[in-house]
Amino acid sequence: MLLADFGTSYCKLLDTAQNAGPQIIPARELPRDFQADIGTGHNAKRRSTSTVNELTALARGGRRMIAESDFTLLDCGSRDIKFVRFKNGEMADMGWNAECGASMGFTIELLAQYYRLDYAAVPVPESGFSVTCGVLGLSSIFDAVASGSSELEAAAKFVRGIARNAFRFAGSPEKLYLSGGLCENPLFVACFPCEIIPLGRFVLLEGLKVY
Amino acid sequence: MIMPQQIGIVGVPPLEIIRQLNAEQAAIIDLDEPQLVLPIDQSDQYLPRVYCAILRTVLLNALNLRLERIYVDVGPGKCDCALHVAAVLKDILSIPVIATRNTDTQSFGFPVCQSSLPLIEKMRRITKGVQSCQPWPQLPACPPTAGFWGVPPRDFSILAPFPDSTHIYGWTRCMENKTPADLELESYCNPAVPTVFFAQSFCAKTALAKHLAARHPKALWVDCDVSAGSSARAKIEAFLELSGVLGDGCAAG
Repeated sequence: MLLADFGTSYCKLLDTAQNAGPQIIPARELPRDFQADIGTGHNAKRRSTSTVNELTALARGGRRMIAESDFTLLDCGSRDIKFVRFKNGEMADMGWNAECGASMGFTIELLAQYYRLDYAAVPVPESGFSVTCGVLGLSSIFDAVASGSSELEAAAKFVRGIARNAFRFAGSPEKLYLSGGLCENPLFVACFPCEIIPLGRFVLLEGLKVY
Repeated sequence: MIMPQQIGIVGVPPLEIIRQLNAEQAAIIDLDEPQLVLPIDQSDQYLPRVYCAILRTVLLNALNLRLERIYVDVGPGKCDCALHVAAVLKDILSIPVIATRNTDTQSFGFPVCQSSLPLIEKMRRITKGVQSCQPWPQLPACPPTAGFWGVPPRDFSILAPFPDSTHIYGWTRCMENKTPADLELESYCNPAVPTVFFAQSFCAKTALAKHLAARHPKALWVDCDVSAGSSARAKIEAFLELSGVLGDGCAAG
């Protein structure tokens, strides 16, 4: 069974018939005729025999990977952010921000390439920009650079603002499980004002194993 | 052949007005619903772009339909925004725009809300029912497995994922009962069934929807503007699946 999480920038694949772990392929490198058996994510409908809602896949994956019965899991992808909160083992709240949370992950990656930044080497700034969206946040960066801030400092403030916005969106929990591509960004993870437990990029694939 | 007069209504005008229009055999047109295929941006000339999509639709309909007069219900049975839109319509239209305040208390019941009809069909019947002063035909009630609380959405497509056994609560139930100002009935919801609390974005009822959802043991609060975005639809689908209302959530691609 070929499972796929078709993200906007990257596709995560798992062939359950093979012993190998999941693979990550940039979405633009995926063959045009590629088809999965079960898919989730932005491009799943045209590339899968059957599809699963992203929030459902996230919730089911979280439940398989997290032992606690009360938890909040936030997925920060390239294009949107979404969270699920479980209480007493049952889903208690959820959210999906595809509009105001738009393109956060994509913009963070774009900035690193444009300014040649290594986020592992960027210190956490003491303050951040008040940003709710990757696209709108770019203006704050350009304004800061024009006002004399270094590109590195401006980008760090942007990342901090994005992380704080995602934290509030998830309900400002004391402990937050994090999934998605931004799990691997050390600056982003360090900018959250709470305990963070990164789960990696394959939580939605884990959720697809239920089917 | 004499064509019936076309009368526009906004909200739920008092029964007395509907009786009078029914007696005149007027063609009642619900201006809350999209009646024309026109870009909603055409309302921007008179209303802010960030405004209730239902009332932007009212303005669009009123500007482009041939109507004899319009009854706009304002006050506790509708909203303050309707009061202000009525003032705008009076100013820009050459036909009579009559503001009414529906405080009717005679209950007509809500059999459609509790029936096993598909949710979209329930909503269609209830919104159409506003145009009649007749009591509802009886329909057998079904046990609820899910709830939809709120106003009729501008875009009915968000109702598609719900099972037929969904009961309707909130202002839509008040509409069917012909008591749109009954806050007690509007505030009622069933804590035993997973319920989606819905309001149009920028509508005053978002406060009540959010408040009731916070108190409900298994609730999802959703607001939508002009049309239901993919994230709103996905949230509802996931909520119904994860609440055990729907199946395993795996759909043909």
